Formats: sequence, C-alpha cells, structure tokens
Amino acid sequence: MGVSIASPASWNLRRLGLAPEGALPREARDTLFLLGVIAWTLMPHLTHLPVWTALLSAAVLLWRGRLALRGAKLPGRWTLAAVLVIALGLTLWSFRGLLGKEPGVTMIVVLMALKTLELRARRDAIVVFFLGFFVVLTNFLFSQSLLVALAMLGSVWGLLTALVLAHMPAGYPSLRQAGWLSGRTALLGVPVMVLLFLFFPRLGPLWGVPQDGQAKTGLSNSMRMGSVAEVAQNDEVALRVRFDGKPPAPGSLYFRGPVLSRFDGAEWLPSDSRRSARVPANLRVGGEVLAYEMTLEPQRLTQLPLLEAAPQAPTIEGMRVDRAPALQWVAERPVTERLRFRAQAYVTFLHGPTEPYPALAEDLALPPERNPRALAWAAQLRASPEGAAADAEGLSELLLRNIRAGGFSYTLAPGTYGIDAVDEFWLDRKEGFCEHFAAAYVVLMRAMGVPARVVTGYQGADPAPVDGFFVVRQSAAHAWAEYWQAGAGWVRADPTVAVAPDRIDRSRNLQPAPGLVGGALRNVSPELLALMRNGWEALNNRWNQWVLSYSQGKQQDLLKKLGLPSSGWEDVLMVLVGALSTLALAGAAWAWWDRRRVDPWVRQGQRVRRALQSLGLKAEPTDGPRALAERLQARFGERAKTLVDLLETWERQRYGRDALTQPDGRWLREWLAQTALLGVAERAQSAAK
Amino acid sequence: MTSLAQKLPGAQALRERSQNWFNSRIRRTDSQLLTQRNVYILPTGAGLMFAATVLVLLLASINYQLNLGYVLSFLLAGAGLVSMHLTHNTLRGLTLILKPVAPAFAGQAAPLEVVVSGSATARHGIGLKLADAAHDSLVWIDVPDGGQTLAHLSFTPALRGRHEVPTLTAETRFPLGLFRAWTVWRPASTQWVYPAPESDAPALPPAQPAPGGAVGVSRSRSGEDMEGVRAYQRGDPLKWVVWKKAAKSMDAGGELVVRDTSAVTQQRLTLDWHACGGLPAEARLSRLTAWCLAAHRLGVDWGLSLPGVELAPGAGENQRRAALEALALWA
Repeated sequence: MGVSIASPASWNLRRLGLAPEGALPREARDTLFLLGVIAWTLMPHLTHLPVWTALLSAAVLLWRGRLALRGAKLPGRWTLAAVLVIALGLTLWSFRGLLGKEPGVTMIVVLMALKTLELRARRDAIVVFFLGFFVVLTNFLFSQSLLVALAMLGSVWGLLTALVLAHMPAGYPSLRQAGWLSGRTALLGVPVMVLLFLFFPRLGPLWGVPQDGQAKTGLSNSMRMGSVAEVAQNDEVALRVRFDGKPPAPGSLYFRGPVLSRFDGAEWLPSDSRRSARVPANLRVGGEVLAYEMTLEPQRLTQLPLLEAAPQAPTIEGMRVDRAPALQWVAERPVTERLRFRAQAYVTFLHGPTEPYPALAEDLALPPERNPRALAWAAQLRASPEGAAADAEGLSELLLRNIRAGGFSYTLAPGTYGIDAVDEFWLDRKEGFCEHFAAAYVVLMRAMGVPARVVTGYQGADPAPVDGFFVVRQSAAHAWAEYWQAGAGWVRADPTVAVAPDRIDRSRNLQPAPGLVGGALRNVSPELLALMRNGWEALNNRWNQWVLSYSQGKQQDLLKKLGLPSSGWEDVLMVLVGALSTLALAGAAWAWWDRRRVDPWVRQGQRVRRALQSLGLKAEPTDGPRALAERLQARFGERAKTLVDLLETWERQRYGRDALTQPDGRWLREWLAQTALLGVAERAQSAAK
Repeated sequence: MTSLAQKLPGAQALRERSQNWFNSRIRRTDSQLLTQRNVYILPTGAGLMFAATVLVLLLASINYQLNLGYVLSFLLAGAGLVSMHLTHNTLRGLTLILKPVAPAFAGQAAPLEVVVSGSATARHGIGLKLADAAHDSLVWIDVPDGGQTLAHLSFTPALRGRHEVPTLTAETRFPLGLFRAWTVWRPASTQWVYPAPESDAPALPPAQPAPGGAVGVSRSRSGEDMEGVRAYQRGDPLKWVVWKKAAKSMDAGGELVVRDTSAVTQQRLTLDWHACGGLPAEARLSRLTAWCLAAHRLGVDWGLSLPGVELAPGAGENQRRAALEALALWA
C-alpha cells in the first residue's frame, strides 16, 4: 500500500462492496432479504384486507426490489406522498372511515410497504424494523393459531437477522451467519421471555375495545333466513368442552346462545330488554348435575353459549357474567379473548314463570299481513277437533308430526325465499335447514295462540373427543324453538329433529364439500384424513390450553404450585421483580467473573513480557518471539541460550505447523523459572562488581 | 443534551472540560486490554425507540388480550436485554495494540495502524475512530475467532511538533444496535509531525563553495580532480560530457571528462532561514521543509540553519530525519 493509505471512508466502502464472485452486492442483498421478510410478514393479512392493499403492497415491494437490484435511486418524497394519499383515499373508500381495526391495519400495512421506498439512512431502516414488529402484532389480532404463530416466529427471526446485518458493516457476512447470530440472541433471551410470560400480571383491557375487536364468524344477535347457513359452512372451532364424568349423549348437548323473540316479518331479534327485564328464571332441574370445563373461542357476542341449563354463572376472572331473562348468560363485554372456565349444567330442566306474565305478549306477536296462508293453515289446525282439544304441548306435537309426515326435507342449500317466507316454506317448497324449521314452527305456534320463540346456539359436538375435549365447530350452529305452557313454563322443541334426526342424534354436521386436497385424501384414505385432522386438533388444543389461555387464574395456580402465597397481581409482580432481579444479578456476576477472561495466549504473552521486563529488557506487545530472542542474545549473549531456545519453542507452539490450541502451562513455568535464574545470576554478578 | 450544549457556549466549554478531565484520568498505554473497567455502555436512540415499541406492543396485547402479543413483546424484551450483554461482550476481552507510528507532515493524512486481537470467539461490527472525529469516519472491522485484525485509521495532524497520538475510541452496536458500547484509549506513543512542505516551493538555493574544501567533501574522488568534473566512466550519459574541458584534458593526454553530479557536494548547500525572504515564520518552516525533501531527493549533502539551530551538512535518511525533527520542534 505504501505511503498512500486510503481514507477510512473509502476503505470502508470498498469493504462493503466486497461481494464473493457472482454474488449480489452487499447492500442489494441485505435490502432484498429485508423485502422478503416484510412480504412474508404481510402475507397473512391478504385474506382479510381489501384486494387493493395486497396489490399495492406487492407492487411497491417489487418496485423496491428492482431498484435494489439495479442500484438505482429511490423515488422522491412527492411520489411517496402521492401514493400515500391514494392509499388513504382507497382506505376511506373501502371502510368509510379510518378508525377501527381493519382500516388501521390496512394503513399500517401500506405504510410498512411505502417505508421501504424511503430506506435511505440507518434511521429509516430502524423505523422499518420496528414497524415490522407492529405488523407482526396486527396479525395476532386476526388469528393466534399455531400456524400464524410459526409464520410470525419466522418473521421476527427475519427482522432480527436484518437488524443484525445492519450492525455488521464490515465484510460480507452470510445470511446464515447473521441468522445464527440473531437466533442466538433471541434464544438467550428466552428465559427472560418465559419469566415475563409466566409472571407478568394479567390485567383486563385498559380501555374500551372496539366492538369489532374480533371479527370471528359465529352466532349473531339476529336471524334472517339464510344467515345460519353461512355459519354452518364454517369449520372453525367454536368451543371445546371436557366433562368431569361420563359425557352426555350428543343429542342432549344444546349450547344456549341468543334467544330471539321479536319478529318483524323478515328478521328475528332479541327481546326488547326493557319489557322482559324482571322475568324470574325459575329454573327447575332434574337429574344429575353435569360439571364441565369449557374453552370458548373469541365471540362477537356478549352471550356465553353455556350448556343448557346452567344453574349459576361460571366464575371467570376479570369478567362479570349475569343471567339474562331468557336464561342466557351474558358477559359484561364482548368476549374478545379465548376464555377457559368451569361451569355446571342440568340436561333435564324447565324454566320461566309457570303463570302467564305480561312480557309473554312479545312471544305472541306476529307481523300483520305476512304469511297469510300459513296463518290460515294454523287457524284451520287450531279449529280442527284435534287442535281444539290440545294444549301447547299437544299443538307442538301436531306441528312436529306434520313436519315428519308432510314431505319436508333437510338441506343446507334451500335457495332463497320471498317476503312470505313461512308460507312458501311450510306450504310449497318444504326444503330448509334448522332456522327455516325453527322460524316456521314459532310463527305457527304463535298463530295458534301459544307463546313461542327461537333459540340459537350450538348443538352437538364432534363425535370423538380430542385429548378429552369435545370439539364444537361453528358448523354446529343451530336454531331451535321454545314454547310456553301454563304450569310448566318454557319448554324446548327442536323441529329439526322431526325432519333430520341424524342432525341431532349423532351430531353429524352437514359438511360442505371438502377442498381439492382434502377430497383427494379422503378418497385415498379416510382414516388417514381423520387421523391427521385429530392430531392437528390435539396439537392446536395443547397450544390453546398452554399458551393462548394462560390467564390470571392459571398464573395464580402456578404460584400456588410453586408454594408461594398469592392473592392478587401485586404478588405476581413481586415474584416477577424478584426473578428478574435474580437474573440481572446473575448476569452482573457473570460479567464480573468474565472480566478476567482474556485470550489465554494474550495472558501468557503478558507474563512472558513481564518476566523480560524484570530483567531490564524492553518488551512490547507488538514484539514477536524472535525480536525478544534477539534482544536477549544482544544483552546476555551465551547466558541467555536456554531462554532463546524456550522462545523458539514458544513460537512453534503458537504459530508452528502443529500449533497448540491452548498455551502450555509447563512451558510457562519453565520460562518463569529460567528468567528468575538469569535474574539472580545477573544481580549476583553486578553485586560482585 | 447536545442541542442544549450547542446553545450555551458555557455548557459546551463545561462539557469539553469535563470530557478532558475524564480522558486525562485514563492511563496512556500502547496496548489496551478492554475489561469491565474501561468499556462503557449506554442505550442508543434506536434502543430507546425499541423500548417504546415493546411498551406499545405490550399495551396493545393487554388491551386486546392477545397472549401471543405478550409472547412477542417478551421475546423482544428478552432479546433486547441479552443484546446489552452481547454488545458489551463484543469489546470486552479484546486487546488494542498500536503499531509503531510513522512520522507525518502537518495537514496531510497520516496512517495509524491498530491491531485488534485476543478473542477466543469471533467479534463483529467493531468501529474505531479518533475520539473527536465524526461518526462517519468509523473504520469497521470484524475479528475472527482466535485471530487478529488490522485497522487502518488515518488522521490529519494540524500542527507540527512532537505530539502524543490522539485519543482513539473503539465502539460497537452489534448485534441489535440498541446499545452502544465504547472505550476510550489514549496510546502512549508520540508522533513526529513535520511542518507541511510548501507546495510549488521555489528551487533550491544555489550552493556555496565549501570554504577550504575540507568540510563535507565526502564523495569527491581524489587524484585527477578538476573543478567539478571527473573522468568518464562506462555508463555515463554522453550529455554529461563537458566537451570543452574534455578537449583540454585529452590534449593533456588525459581522458574524456564528464560533469560530476556529486560536484555540488564539494560545495556547501545550506538551507538557510534567512534565504526565505520576508516570509512569516511558519511559511519559512514550510519552505525549508520542502527544500529539505528536495535536497534529500537529490542525494547531495546539505545542512540546515535555523535561528538557534545549526545542522551540519550531511546526507541520507538520518540527515533528513534530523532536519525535519529540528524543523518540527523549532520555536
């Protein structure tokens, strides 16, 4: 290199550009890697965000990748501002607003993609990394499943790797090396993560969660013909139950959801709560109590679909649950998290006042001028000798008999019905699924003067339990009916049983056609499909039980198991602080111990030099064994022969063909002894002079 | 902090003074072992931003009751905490050794070579720079496991003289950039800084005949001496031949004679302070420096005369060094 040493800046750049033969330049490689990680992180959002978001993000990322490959200049700020304004406009157009979860997530996704076009300085890169962590979190708003968790683990790893790459400016570190370094950093942090996860106090939401917090399909608070069919197509898990004792017959598993009393001719709605607020539950139960544990997936509703009939509210930490007049159990806020709780049920029961009460009027009301033919049919039945003699139970039986014998059929795809849907269904087409039967039944009962209402919820469960848990899917969503009889109260009647007993008894949910792969697999080996599905369900269930439903209650249980007294989150916090302090002390102790950790060769070199310095020789860290040997020879001549030989040995040990990995302790002892000997001889000689 | 310091000149001065006081407490050494005692660490701006990000993620997880969000926040918190140790560990245990420092000229970039070694495990992303240099002048190196790396730094001394090597810093933000660990190192070596040679300096002053020819005549050949010429030797260029004298010499039965380039040595070339006209002192030193270099290149014997300093004529590397050092120290 001679005299002209390159300035540090240019030297630095030269090293940065130093790519192996045929490989991308360092900057392009790093940028492409980061773009890949961002694309991977954004991918799960594709299913629930507008199509334009996906197209825009993909276009921006591809554009940025092209710029990186060509080493071209980034677009100016005005271009970015224009794209941002367009995205803002599209968001407004898609969601009619910017507040709420979906518009918010859409904007974060767009910002994330656009920010990659602004990767100019280190600070921009840092912003991209941190924005990336936010996008990871937004994915959890939509799903916390095992698959999403694994995908996002990859994202976090990728982001950390990109962060590590950004802090390795020298040379051309391979992605593998950076990946290992970031992975090691994260792995070393796992104890802290586990401690925090276990002992960080679990609190309720700090402020109001938007009502659309969890856009899960599930039961809804209203019913229109056709709306339950949508749910029935949905194979997602709604809840899981594990019974303490013998599980009851699937036919008796009714999970009570919203009760719909008001009917305006098209839509069924819950009772007007002001009028029915004071109706006593008057629950009368029979048979044995059934204790169970339920894991409830997030719902859009406040109603908890408990097994009928629950004598008392389940205890759920941080959530008050009250009984509504129609025997539903209502939480104080929408269930936005997965809940795990214990509850009880009596399968045999009656409920409601046994004497007529004012609010019953709502359960008798029918919209005027709707379904005239059905009403006429009901009046005719009521006027017949059979109908005139029957009480509410008898009338119900007459209707069910008509369903059984009247040529009705159960289908998930009955097609759409017109304005007088009940007329059309009951008298003409006679095709439908649970909600058609339930709605028609209730209308006809009301037409005959019997108070009746629609009850929605889930019915049945997957036949085989997984890990002891019975899985209830969204496809088990069901609608049935209740009628009121003087002296008995409200009585359940399920008209769907009359037409499709299968649907109830064996709880064989009507499955939509399996997908292409599922179909192929089913043809090859139905057992394998079932096995795979069960295994996956079991894994998912473990995940739900151990990770996703870890809560305040489990935290308390854990403390009790550890033998620590605990009464509230303050105790949990104390444990956390204690554990973290211990960890910090351990870290500090390690650092203190480690301060002596010097490369053994360096330490040996220090001692070798110190010995020479005590002989009055100059010995610098830059001096090699040869320089030292020359100096010894010059000063002491033949008397230093042993020491010179020792230095030669040392050089061989350190740099020779069979160099040692660790310094030789015996050699050092010999060296120290010989230098001491020479020192003594030297002092004796000078004293003699 | 810095903006405040920039606004108040008093604060700036105070900062500098405290910095100087702090630095003066560090022992000067040419090989610095980095230990718990001399490696410092503080979070960076990015680190604070990271903490804020984790906090927001945690708040969102609490509010939306996302257990996986908790996992994410705590994973990042754990990695951040570990990165603090890793950052400190990147510097701790290393040895910085300054290679012997070459003399330099004022105003010209001078190389400084630092050997970074002594780690059993590989270290990444270590940047070295002069303590008071800008951040973008950092020289980045990696240290392979069990090996060593040479870092080429450069600095531009402003003033001539014999200076201590400027204070150096080594820093790292590896692995995540959330923390910055650094060390301040004051090497013990001193460096000669010669005056900046004048560019486009006038030609060397004419040599004066050596009085008595006694002093400084080292290369002249005795015997067939004539004034400034010598006998032709094989390989001498033809244009060196002094034809007039050669004719005379050949007439006298002698040989062909050529101009003796070492003839100047028989004269005395003294680079004199007073020959620099009415220049200010530093400019004179610059011109003398340029002349010294020119004279050294010529290979002639030359001397230097400064007020209070006389350097006997001579040639070679030692002469050059002695003259330049005298110029560097002249006061």
